[in-house]
Amino acid sequence: MIDAREIKFENPSFFKRLKGMLGVDFYRLFHTPMFYIFLVIAAVIPAMILSMTGMPGEDGTSNPMYTNTWQIVAANTPLYVISDIADYANMNMVFIFGGIMVSIFIGHDYKSGYVKQLFTTHAKKQDYMLSKSVVGAFSMACMCVTYLMIGGVLAGILSGTSFEVNVGSLICAVLGKMIMSFGWASLYTFLNIIFRRYFGVSIISSFFFGTGILIIGAAAIFGNNSILNIFLYGSSVYACLSSSFLTIIVCSLCSVAWTVIYNIFGTLILSKCDVY
Amino acid sequence: MNAIEIRDLSKSFRGMYAVDHMNMTVPVGAIYGFIGENGSGKSTTEKLICGHLVPDSGNIKLFGKDYTDAGVRVRVGALIENAGCFPNSSVWDNLMMQAINLGLNNRGDEIDRVLKIVRMEDSARIKFKSCSLGMKQRIGIAMALLGDPALLILDEPINGLDTDGMKIMREILVDITKNYGCTVLISSHLLGELEKIATHYGIIRQGKMIQELSAQDMDNRARVFTSLKTKDMHGAKKILQKQFEKVDFEDDLLKIYDVDETEKIVEYLIKNGHVISEIKKNKVGLEEYYINLMSKKEAQ
Repeated sequence: MIDAREIKFENPSFFKRLKGMLGVDFYRLFHTPMFYIFLVIAAVIPAMILSMTGMPGEDGTSNPMYTNTWQIVAANTPLYVISDIADYANMNMVFIFGGIMVSIFIGHDYKSGYVKQLFTTHAKKQDYMLSKSVVGAFSMACMCVTYLMIGGVLAGILSGTSFEVNVGSLICAVLGKMIMSFGWASLYTFLNIIFRRYFGVSIISSFFFGTGILIIGAAAIFGNNSILNIFLYGSSVYACLSSSFLTIIVCSLCSVAWTVIYNIFGTLILSKCDVY
Repeated sequence: MNAIEIRDLSKSFRGMYAVDHMNMTVPVGAIYGFIGENGSGKSTTEKLICGHLVPDSGNIKLFGKDYTDAGVRVRVGALIENAGCFPNSSVWDNLMMQAINLGLNNRGDEIDRVLKIVRMEDSARIKFKSCSLGMKQRIGIAMALLGDPALLILDEPINGLDTDGMKIMREILVDITKNYGCTVLISSHLLGELEKIATHYGIIRQGKMIQELSAQDMDNRARVFTSLKTKDMHGAKKILQKQFEKVDFEDDLLKIYDVDETEKIVEYLIKNGHVISEIKKNKVGLEEYYINLMSKKEAQ
């Protein structure tokens, strides 16, 4: 028999553990087609909306939904109450695509059984929550870039819409939305942890929350109110074409706060409940 | 210090105990055969050790440390229910992901090493979903072997394997305990197979550990018996019963228990005019031992 004292156990640091988990998730992300499919979706859908809604109708006249290319990226002002589909169809759509992607990503962990390998070697459940949040946020940030460059710039050039904009505000808006990716990814990871045994339900719940329907509903009742910026969808709407540096601060605070909240609760659920 | 030490462990599902105040001790370096009928709590216990399930009560220690210790858990390899691989990824990619997960530095070499152990060097580029059941089981073992595990937890790893596959699996398990100093906890229904490799046994029934013993204890407790055939079986039985304590007629054979010297039986029968057409010396194996133990428990 072997003497147990001969076997050495080194306690891995938090960063070493996280590096391992992140490494797996990024490897998977880049080595499976799903990520690239969602990048294409994030590019093609806004491009189609921008070019098709500007086409002339049967009577030959055109009444474009977007008079400016950048409206497909963000609304002119923070509109929590939707009066027009054009107010709604902007870069916030990335958070819906991202929600579905995160659900599929986590769902495959459970469906394949790989989650057993992860939780056998990672005793600390926070590694899982944090890693999925980071990978989800990275994916959504990448989708924001393809959305901006192809769905916005390229489609704008092809459809001939105006490019007039306050560049500083545009940058603040895009950065604000990219920062919001962290909060959204944490929300989706949390939802998928709750519905880990029900793949379909987790996708539907991610889609439901991603549409921001709850905040839109609240805004319809209580009106446009900046208090809504404390929510993920509220801050995402706040990042608009009239944004300033304050927008980035608000988005950062909101995103960090929800990331922390969802990660704490997600870790608690994973620690107190059976993994699958 | 033991590789696994479980004290008073319980886990219930909807009020029903799957593991009921169980104790278990697995010495370091052992191949511990975990035996029990379907639904007896073997897989639940293994999942609890791996941290997949949260126990209701009790404690689990791995190598003297709490089972939630990150340093110990990173040295645990497991194959529970299935290999836990992504079906559309290649065998190599699946192993690479696990190697990254474990934070290994020389990943390529490590993957080659484990593939060699499970004799799958030529199948690395095949998609996991295209592998046969036997291959999948071996990939699961390879995954569990990555990163020099101190403890391997294997749930029914030989199920569904053909004779060759079982032989390979047996050799792999003996090799990793002897050459890599790994402790193995293995559950299986195939007691004959388990008997060939296990150094210790734990028998579980209705979530309770009813007996733990070493292979040596098992050997000492195992009963010797001689089975034979004669022309006049009933006459031979009557004659043998006069001389030997326990003689039974089972499966068209006369069985004489606890007599180590077969020559005595042969001599005695010939002296009494019986011609032996077939004779064999046997030992009660794990399977019979287990069945006997279970029927005793049933009777209680």
